Amino acid sequence: MRIKSFLRFTIAALLLGASLAPIMAADASDPNIAKAQQMIEKAEAARKQAASVDGEWRETAAMIEQAKSELTKGEVAASMKLAAEAHKQGVLGYQQAVSQRELKMPSYLHY
Amino acid sequence: MKHVFQKLALLAMAVSITLSAQATTPEEDLAAFRNFFKNRFPDVPMEEYTNGVYAIDPIGRENWEAIEEFPPYEPFIDEGQAMWENPFANGKSYQDCFPEGPAMESQFPYWDKQQGMVITLPLAINQCREANGEKPLKYKKGPINNILSYIAFESRGQTTNVEIPTEDPKALAAYESGKKFYYTRRGQLNFSCATCHLQNAGMRIRSDILSPALGHTTHWPVYRSKWGTVGTLHRRFSGCNKQVRAKPFKAQGEEYRNLEYFLTYMNNGLPLNGPGARK
Repeated sequence: MRIKSFLRFTIAALLLGASLAPIMAADASDPNIAKAQQMIEKAEAARKQAASVDGEWRETAAMIEQAKSELTKGEVAASMKLAAEAHKQGVLGYQQAVSQRELKMPSYLHY
Repeated sequence: MKHVFQKLALLAMAVSITLSAQATTPEEDLAAFRNFFKNRFPDVPMEEYTNGVYAIDPIGRENWEAIEEFPPYEPFIDEGQAMWENPFANGKSYQDCFPEGPAMESQFPYWDKQQGMVITLPLAINQCREANGEKPLKYKKGPINNILSYIAFESRGQTTNVEIPTEDPKALAAYESGKKFYYTRRGQLNFSCATCHLQNAGMRIRSDILSPALGHTTHWPVYRSKWGTVGTLHRRFSGCNKQVRAKPFKAQGEEYRNLEYFLTYMNNGLPLNGPGARK
């Protein structure tokens, strides 16, 4: 039983290590990992804010997921670029929805 | 004297801006909507708008008329008839929910005071199914389109007649919510529904001609060549929102049901002619 538990623990640790290897490998050489993670969190916050006023754009959530995926693969620069774009979309989507809060009938409709 | 004139001019501007921001009635909205298209396409008879873009695209119309000789939605009508006629597991059928029979599309959408919301035909179908122990159908693709095709076919010729009951202010609020949705810019492309289907109706977007909003709700569900199958109105709403790069809303959610309520009201008086075939 103890040997089985030990083996399970070892396999789990090896798998966890393998999944973290790219980040840990990148960690050693790239100081921007933490910055990328912060940018992803900021992008998600902007997306949620846009969503709160029904202003979310089509690509924003997918971009954030892709940014996370790139970070996991150790592609830090790509991750930061995607996170920055997603953040911009969240901010613009929110501003757009707020600017459209009041119904303004178009001038080409004559009453 | 110049000062007085300037002040009067500013006052007049303020009054006109205020007037344009004041609430309009649904009847006034309908009149303005209709007049826009009468002015835009003076040679198009009112009943022709039920044919969508083919009311204003003579070349597309030729292709469409050829397609309508062997309509691609016909098998869906047959499947829908079978669904209507086959009883549920509990022995009851759609007829028990809709005693007036399948020719009842003109009753939808309507404001249900008890449920406090707009009831559309697909929603009513699923409410019927769930009340009889059946699983609800998905709202964009699949067998919902079969039964909707059958009901639409049986309802051809009925007149669109959406009412906004005055005794329940929530009904008007739902209409206003749909109207607000229609005229709100959204998505990365910053378009509202009106941008394409009023302001730019008849203009080209890449190789396609933008269809006029008048008549938009009369011919659903629709066999779209692009889909290779029949799809629902809310599937199209979702597609349109995605095309302007906005995150779409849920099919048969409150936003799209209110939008359908407003848009169908704008088509009051037009005959139903679904199911339709479109590019």
